[in-house]
Amino acid sequence: MLLVGKILLGAVGSVAAMGAVVSSEGFVNVKVHEKKPEGVHLHIIAPVLLMNVGLHFVPRRDLKQAAEQVRPWLPVIDAAVEELKKGDDVQLVEVTGPDQHVKVATHGGSLVVDVTDPEDDVHVSFPLSEIDHAVHEIAAAGPTL
Amino acid sequence: MKKFMQVGAVVCLLATSAFGAPAEKYLHVRVTNTSDKEVVSVNVPLSLAEKVIPAINHGKLNQGKVSIDNADMKDVDLRSILEAVKNSPDGEYVTIESKDQDVRVAKSKGNLVVHVTDKSSKEKKGGQKVDVIIPMSVVNALMPSDKHEIDLVAAIHALSDSGEKLMVTVHDSDDDVKVWVDAESGSNEPSAKE
Repeated sequence: MLLVGKILLGAVGSVAAMGAVVSSEGFVNVKVHEKKPEGVHLHIIAPVLLMNVGLHFVPRRDLKQAAEQVRPWLPVIDAAVEELKKGDDVQLVEVTGPDQHVKVATHGGSLVVDVTDPEDDVHVSFPLSEIDHAVHEIAAAGPTL
Repeated sequence: MKKFMQVGAVVCLLATSAFGAPAEKYLHVRVTNTSDKEVVSVNVPLSLAEKVIPAINHGKLNQGKVSIDNADMKDVDLRSILEAVKNSPDGEYVTIESKDQDVRVAKSKGNLVVHVTDKSSKEKKGGQKVDVIIPMSVVNALMPSDKHEIDLVAAIHALSDSGEKLMVTVHDSDDDVKVWVDAESGSNEPSAKE
C-alpha cells in the first residue's frame, strides 16, 4: 500500500513538474467567435513551449515563403520586441470604424490583437518573450544562405 | 550610526533611480476620416522608435539616417539655412499669400512654425489647412553636419528631450490628422500644448 502511495506521489509530482516546465514560457491565447448562426466558437489556450516544439515538425517547405518574408526584418523585429518587453503596457494601434474595431497592444508581457467586425470577434495574445524565438524559428526554416 | 548612513545611501539611490528616470514619451498619430467615420490611432514609444529605426536598412534609410541625393537638394545648403534660422530672433520669415495658397514660416519660442492653407480646392472640397510646429532642437538634430542625410534617430532623441507638443495638424474636408508627443501611452485627444 505504501509502495502504491509512493508511485502515485511520484506520478503526480512528475505531471506537476512537467506542467510547470510546459507552462513556464507562458501561453498563447486564441479566441475566435463567428457571429453567423452555427458559426465557429474556438478558444485555444496553448503553452508556448508546445508551439515552439510544434514548429520543428512543420514541413520546411510550408514555412519557406514565410521564412523568406520574415528574414530581412529579423533585426527590426528583435529590436522592437526587446523594447516592448522593457516598456509599460501600450496600445500601439487602434482602428475604430462604424462596424469594426481593431486593437494591437501590449498587456502584461503579451502582444494582444483584438479584431471585432460584423462577422467575427478574434482575440490573439502571445507572450512577448517568445515572439522573437518563434520568428527566428520560422526564419530558420527557409533555405540556408 | 554607520549602518543608518548605509541604509540612507541605499534609500537615496533607489529614490534617484525611481524618480530620476525620465518618463517615457510617446509619438501619437491620429487620423480621423469624417466621411468613412473611421479613426486610426497609432502610439509609438519614442524609445522603441529610437531602437527600431536604426535596425531598418531599406532604400534610402540606413542606420537611422535617410540619405538625400544632391539632385533632391538642388544645391541648397539646408544646414546653413537652418543654422541661420537658429541664430535669428523670433519672427516671421516667409509669408506668401496667393490665389491658391497661403504659406507662413516663422520661428516662435524655440519652435519652427509652418502654416499652409490650400485654397485651390476650397470650392470643391473645403480646402486643406496644415499646421506644423517643430522644436528647433529637433530640426537641428534632423540635419547633421553632413548635409546629405537626415538623422531620424537624433531627431527622435531630441524629441524625447523636448516638452509635450502638438506638432502637426492637417485638416481638410475628409481627414483630420494630428501628430503629437506626450508622456501618455493612450491616444487621448491632445490638448492645446502650444
